[in-house]
Amino acid sequence: MRSTSMSRSVTRRSLLGAALAAPAVARAFGDASRFIPAVAQHGGTWDLRASGLRRLAWELQRRTSVEVVLEARATPLDSPKLFELPFLYLSSDRELPAFTPAQTENLRRYLTFGGFVFADANDGSAGTGFDASFRRELAKVLPQVQPRPLPATHVVFKTFFLLDTAPGRLLNVAQLDAWTIGKRAAVIYSQNDVMGALARDESGSYEFEVTPGGERQREYATRLAINIAMYALCLDYKDDGVHILEIMRRRR
Amino acid sequence: MDSAAVDSFRLVSLSALPPLALWGLGAAVLVAAGLACLGVAREPVRLRKWALWGLRALAALCAIFFLLEPGLRKVQVARVKNRVAVLVDRSASMTFPVAAGKPSRSQAVAESLAALTPQLEAMSERFAFEVVGFDPELTPLTSKALELEPARGSKTDLLSTLRSLKASEGTSARKLSGVVLFSDGADNGELAQGLNGRAKAVLEGFGVPVSTVAVGQGGLKDLAIEAVKVDDFAFVRNSLTAEVEVRARGFSGQATQAVLRREGRVVASAPVRFASDDDVQVAKFTFAPDQTGRFVYTVSVPVFPEEAVTENNTRAFTLKVIRDRVRVLLVAGRPSWDERFLRGLLKQDANVELISFYILRNSPDDPMVSQDELSLIPFPRNEIFSDKVHTFDLLVILNFNNDDLNISLAEFEGSIKQYLLNGGALAYVGGDRSFGDARYTSFADVLPIATAGASDPSPFKARLTPEGARHPITALGTGSVSTEAAWDALPPVPGMNSVRARPGATVLLDNPFSLIDGKNAPVLSIWDYGRGRVMALASDGSWAWAFTSHVAGAQSRVYERMWGSAVRWLVRDPELTAMSVSADSPSVDPGKPVGVSAVARSSDFQPVAGAQVTIELISADDGRVVAQQTVPAGPDGAAHVEFPSPPPGPYKVVGRATAGQKLLGEMSDAVAVRASGKELSDARVNARLLEDIAKATGGAFFEGPSFSLADVPFKEPPLVEVGRSRDQSLWDRWYWLTLMVLIMGAEWALRRRFGYI
Repeated sequence: MRSTSMSRSVTRRSLLGAALAAPAVARAFGDASRFIPAVAQHGGTWDLRASGLRRLAWELQRRTSVEVVLEARATPLDSPKLFELPFLYLSSDRELPAFTPAQTENLRRYLTFGGFVFADANDGSAGTGFDASFRRELAKVLPQVQPRPLPATHVVFKTFFLLDTAPGRLLNVAQLDAWTIGKRAAVIYSQNDVMGALARDESGSYEFEVTPGGERQREYATRLAINIAMYALCLDYKDDGVHILEIMRRRR
Repeated sequence: MDSAAVDSFRLVSLSALPPLALWGLGAAVLVAAGLACLGVAREPVRLRKWALWGLRALAALCAIFFLLEPGLRKVQVARVKNRVAVLVDRSASMTFPVAAGKPSRSQAVAESLAALTPQLEAMSERFAFEVVGFDPELTPLTSKALELEPARGSKTDLLSTLRSLKASEGTSARKLSGVVLFSDGADNGELAQGLNGRAKAVLEGFGVPVSTVAVGQGGLKDLAIEAVKVDDFAFVRNSLTAEVEVRARGFSGQATQAVLRREGRVVASAPVRFASDDDVQVAKFTFAPDQTGRFVYTVSVPVFPEEAVTENNTRAFTLKVIRDRVRVLLVAGRPSWDERFLRGLLKQDANVELISFYILRNSPDDPMVSQDELSLIPFPRNEIFSDKVHTFDLLVILNFNNDDLNISLAEFEGSIKQYLLNGGALAYVGGDRSFGDARYTSFADVLPIATAGASDPSPFKARLTPEGARHPITALGTGSVSTEAAWDALPPVPGMNSVRARPGATVLLDNPFSLIDGKNAPVLSIWDYGRGRVMALASDGSWAWAFTSHVAGAQSRVYERMWGSAVRWLVRDPELTAMSVSADSPSVDPGKPVGVSAVARSSDFQPVAGAQVTIELISADDGRVVAQQTVPAGPDGAAHVEFPSPPPGPYKVVGRATAGQKLLGEMSDAVAVRASGKELSDARVNARLLEDIAKATGGAFFEGPSFSLADVPFKEPPLVEVGRSRDQSLWDRWYWLTLMVLIMGAEWALRRRFGYI
C-alpha cells in the first residue's frame, strides 16, 4: 500500500536478497500466520502444480509485503488440517473423482467459515474433464450457491495489480468464475491453468509454454495469481472508498 | 346568613278561596260591571254617562277588593354574600420591573391591593373577596406572601387558571360574582397566540365577568433567548443545526453576536441584527459534536445596560451525542490471516464503519511494474494520525512496526497519546513485527504491556484469568463455567509476543506455559489511559479462534463475541460500564432540585450493595465542585441523591463508587439548570390579551393597577327569606265597607235621578 514507486536503482539481486531475508525475521513467530499455499489432495491427480505454487509464494514474497512459506502443503480434503490453511489450491488435469461425503462435508465447512479455494483447470477444459467434474462436485459442496462469472469490476482485478484480463497458461476463457458466500467469493475458478504459467521444472525453467500471449501473458498470469492470493488475504479492501478515486484515475 | 336580616313587606291575598275561584269570581265581577256600563251607553248626556260608568267601575273594584281580601305580609330577608376572586399572577415574569428602574410587577400588585383595601372592606357586606395566586395552580395568597415571596411560577396559562377557578365553584359554598385578574398577560399557555376561536367561546360562556388589570408597562428594553430548536440527540461527528430565536425589544438597529458554548468552550457564534423595536431574529449554529455522551450547551447574547431582565440572555440545553456507527481505523503492517478474519468480522457488523490501511508493499518489495499498474495508494499517515485521528472511535493497529521510516507511526505517538487522553480507544495487536520482534515499537507508553524479549513461537491455549472470567470482553458465557468451557474449546494460538503486564494493567487471558518475571505471560490485557481505553493482544494468531475452531463443525462464536465486546468496551458503550450515572432530567428549571441516579457494579458487573457512591456536581464552566454527596448503594447497587436548587448553569455530574479502598468505577453525565425558562424569556406586557379576556366575559379592563372597584362589574348577590312571616289583613276595615256602601248608594241615587229605574 505504500505509494512510493519502486526505485529503479534497486537491483534484482538486492530484491532477491531482501525477499529471502524477510522470512528470517518472520520465522521467529512461527508459520501459522503466514501465507502457506496449500494443495487439496483429492482422489484424482492433484499435485501437478506444486512448483507453480512455490513460485506464487516466492513472487508474493518478492513483490508484496506478504510473508510466506514457500513450500506448498498438501492437505487431504477431509483433513482437519485444512482449518489451519485458509488458502487452498485445488486442481487437476483430468476429471475429478467424486468427492467422498467426508470430503464434501469438510470442504463445505471450510468454505462456510472463511476458507478460500482457488480452483484451476490444469487441462484448460470447458464442459468436460476437470471443468465438468469440478462444477459437479462444487454443486454438492455448495448446493445453494451458483457459480457466477466475476465482472471486470470485481475487486480481485485490483487487489494489488490493476488487471483487466484473467489469463493463465492458456486463454480459453477470458473470465474467472466464483462461488460467493455472502459478499465473499469463497471459490475462484480459472479454466486457464494459471499455475501452469508459473510452474518451473527442476532446472528452474518454465515448465510450459504460455499461449497465445507468450511471456507477457505469463507475467499477467503471475499478477493474477498474486491478486487472487491478495484477495484471499485482504478480501474487498481495495473496494474501500479511500482507494476508488485513485484506482479509477489509473485505469483511465 | 352573610348580611344582617331586615324586614320586608309584601302585599298578598288572604282569601281562603283557591286562586282559580278567585280568578273566576273576579272575571264575573268584571263582566257584570261591563254589562252595567253597557246599560247606560245610550245616555245622551256625557257627564251623566261618565259619572255612572265611574261609579259602577269603582263598585266593581270594591267587589274585587273584598273578594281578594288583601293583606300585608311581613317577612325577614337577608342578602347572601357571594365571592369575588382576586387572581394574582405568580408566574416568574411578575418579578420583572413595571418599568425600567421601577419595582417589580408583583410589588405593583401588592401596592394596588393595599390601596383597594378600603373599597374591599366597604363592599364586604355583599362580597367575600378571596385573593388567590396562580402559577398556574391556584393558591390562597396573603398580602405578606405577595410582598415577601418572589413569584416563581414556570408558566402563565390564564385560560387554564380561569377554568380551574370555575371548576372550584362546585366545592365552594359561595357563588362567584366576579373575577379581578392582575397579570402582565405574558401567557405562554393556550392563549400565547391571543384570544381566538375555541378559547374565546369558552370565555364568552364563562358566566362571570372577569375584569383584568394589566401590570407593567411597555417600552422595556430586553434581549432574550426566546427559544432553542435543536434535537434531543445527535450523532457524533455529524453536523447538526441549532436554531435560536432571539427576541429584542427596544434594540432597533442593534447588531450583536449570539454565542454557543459547550461547557464553557465556545463552539460557534452567529451575528444577529434587529430591524425593529420588537423583533425576533433566528441565529443558526451548525456544529459537529466530537465526543459521545451528554453535554450541556449554552446559548447567550450580551447583556446591555438598562435591560429589564438579564437572566433571559442565556439559555442552556443538553444534547445527548451518540454514535451512528462505531468508526474503526484498522491499520495492518502487512496482509495476514489475522487481518483478513478481523476485517471480515468488522465489515459484516452493521454498527461498524471500517476504514482500513494495509501495508501491501515494503521498501525491499519490487512489484516489477510501474506505479500506474498497481492499485496502491499513499499511506496518508499525516492526514490520519495528525488531522483526523479524533474522528475515529477506535484505532486497531495490527502487527505494525516502525522500522521503515516511510511508514513509521513513531512520529505520531504524541497525537495518538493525546487522542487516548481525550477519550479515544486503541486495540494493539501483536505479531512478528511487534514488540520484541520489531526493532522499534512505538506506543510503549500507552500500552498495558511491555516487551519482554523475543517472541515465543510455541502454540498454546490461552487461559482465562479470574479477571477475564468476569470482564465483559472475555466473559462470554452465561456463567463462569460456560465462559471457561467456551475458552477451553478453542484451538491453540500459534505463538505469541513475549510481553509483561505493566502495573495497573488487567490481564484477561494469559499463557499457562510461559512465565515472564515469574508470572504467566499476558495474552490479552487492558487498561484505561487518560479518558481513553487500550487493549493489547500479544499475538496475531487470534484468527485461529475464528477459523480453526470450526474444524469439528462446532458453531463457536467466541472470536466474534470477544471482538464485538472488545469494540464496545473500548468505545465505552454505556451498557459495558461498571458504574452508571444519570441525571433524572437533562435540564432543570431554576430553583428546582437536581436529582441524580447511580448504579455501582463490580468489575464482573454484579451490583455492589453498600458501595459508597459519591456524586459531585461540578460546574462545567470552571470545573468547580458546587456540591457533593456520598450515599451507600442499595441492595441492587443503586443510589439516588438530590442537590437542592443549584444556581443556573451547565453542570457535569460525576459519580464514583468505592467498595472499601477499591475504586469500582467512575462515570459522568450532564445537566443544565436553566437561567430562565419559557416564562422568563418574555418580558413583554400583553395588555391586548387582558383586554380581550375582559371583553369576552363582560368584565372591565384596566390599563394599570390604579382603579376603583366601583368600576368593576359584579353579579349582584340574591336576597333570601329568613325567619317566619306575619300577615296583617287590610280589607276587614269599616271604612272600606263604608266606602263601598257610599259608592253603591251614590250610583243608586244618580241612577234614580237620571231616570233609570
